[in-house]
Amino acid sequence: MQTVLDLALGGISLGAIYALMAFALSMALATTHVLNVAHGLILVLGAAAATYLIQVRPVGILAALAVVIIGAALFGLAFESVFVRQFLGKSPEEILIGTILVTLGFGLAVETLLGYYWARWVHPTPSFTLSFPWPHLRLGWVTLSGTRLAILTLAILAIGAFHLFLTRTPLGKATRAVAQNYEGALILGLNPRLISLTVYIVGITATAISGVLLALAIPLDPYTGTRLTLVGLTVVVIGGVGSLPGALLGGVLLGVAEVLTAYTVGAIWSPVVSLLVFFAVLVVRPEGLFGRGSG
Amino acid sequence: MIRGIVGALVLVALLPPLFLTRDLIAAIYFTFLFMILAVNYDLLGGFLGYVNLGQGAFFGLSAYAVILLLNSGGLDALGAADIPVAMALAILFTLAMTWSFAYPLFRLSGAYFAMGTFAMVLLIQQVIVNFPGLTGGTYGIYVNPRHYLSLHLAYYLALGLLVLSLGLNLWVTRSRLGLAVNAIRGSELAAAAIGIDRFRVKRRTLLLSALPSATAGAIFGLQAGYIDVDAAMGVEKTLLPVIMAMLGGSGLVAGPLVGGVIVRGIDIVLKNYLHLAFPALAIYGMILMGIGLLMPHGVLVFLRKRREAGFR
Repeated sequence: MQTVLDLALGGISLGAIYALMAFALSMALATTHVLNVAHGLILVLGAAAATYLIQVRPVGILAALAVVIIGAALFGLAFESVFVRQFLGKSPEEILIGTILVTLGFGLAVETLLGYYWARWVHPTPSFTLSFPWPHLRLGWVTLSGTRLAILTLAILAIGAFHLFLTRTPLGKATRAVAQNYEGALILGLNPRLISLTVYIVGITATAISGVLLALAIPLDPYTGTRLTLVGLTVVVIGGVGSLPGALLGGVLLGVAEVLTAYTVGAIWSPVVSLLVFFAVLVVRPEGLFGRGSG
Repeated sequence: MIRGIVGALVLVALLPPLFLTRDLIAAIYFTFLFMILAVNYDLLGGFLGYVNLGQGAFFGLSAYAVILLLNSGGLDALGAADIPVAMALAILFTLAMTWSFAYPLFRLSGAYFAMGTFAMVLLIQQVIVNFPGLTGGTYGIYVNPRHYLSLHLAYYLALGLLVLSLGLNLWVTRSRLGLAVNAIRGSELAAAAIGIDRFRVKRRTLLLSALPSATAGAIFGLQAGYIDVDAAMGVEKTLLPVIMAMLGGSGLVAGPLVGGVIVRGIDIVLKNYLHLAFPALAIYGMILMGIGLLMPHGVLVFLRKRREAGFR
């Protein structure tokens, strides 16, 4: 019973993190058609910043989270104006080749430098891992890990805030309109640059938060970024572009599959399973299990 | 004229093993290998418009296959013919794997296709690492010294293969397949409307692009004497060909060569002469970023456009 509960909670909290970061990826795809290959790296950067702040120059976890959020928002602003802005309104092929080159190159440079300098000045084997000082929760004869509950709570709060932003605020509604129909939204007079800026600031902040949460669940290293981008893309392929329910279902499906694999055959097979799920979904249902097409 | 230049270059390339140091011969040999991958990459990435971030997978699979076949001892009865037979079998195995990946991959297009090919590389890497009993896992595998290829032989094989790869690309631009590829690149819908079987054309192009890469991988494995996942299909083998093709000019037969000379030139200067305390991958990353921002169509197209602008 305890094991089943642990596995379920582990899978769902991992899935909630995946859903949060995949939804940020898919909103960016839907509104600007930019595939950010460095998306996974942003999780790693969030985790690295939090690890550095909390463990190397000790500040409290909430202060660290606040710094990560503000830093991520500024990073999103810079990322959009340097890498995304100039591609807006170009043909999909041009956007694709240009942004793949740019984000791939950026990711490669940053992850190499991060690994190199962390190994040189902070710790010889870079690894970003955090814990949350919540006590274990005892419910009758089962115990729930405090860290996992904290992950789940924070992830649900972040997803909820993202959802409320998109459905309740004028800017969020405009963003959804651009995601659904780019030309239509332009005819209505919506400003595509403002929307793109919003998507990247909000999306990158959400992604950096999910990186901090992921570091609470599993240890990360500088080179996990690409794999995480693929995890995000798998969730988008399963759930459909721009769909929050799809991202939640896809994320939880993948999270549970990874946790079960790690428990039954060993953690080394978890990445294989998530990649196999990716290819299996493509063969069986290329239009996504729960939503619109995958491009 | 282009044939003349290529012929002259090949003649010059025949000479280095006679007088250069072993380090420099090895550096040029690696340049050939990367150029083969870049030229092959361009068949799909440049001509068809499908960015393949997994070219290194064909290279690495074949390298592993040839070493495992020879190490298993099953081919010992063939005597001196064991190396060519093992290479042929390894290439066939790689083509079979490529064939089976074609179906899921070509259900994707655009950015998703690119990421799908990257997923393919990661999947193959992880599976190799997870079977240490067979593949040596993260420790890699050694070639039995009696199967080593000498550097000079590998150098000439790679040079020949590079010329053949260029010939393949030239042939494709002039063949029926090339016409179909061009039609698909122009418009998938229109190509389908005039009766082109898009999936078969794409799969055939993918297989053609995998064939020389797999051959190069088999040569690389036997010459290196030792491979692990990173050497056989790491970031360098998967991304450098893309960088080279895009830097030179994707879709032009000479593009990958120009890009290859630039990238490898930078690498040789950094590693052999400057001894920078700075990882080379970071520099590749910045070059890639710079190209994407400043000249997304490559150096050759960039120069041509500037010249045209100058004449106006």
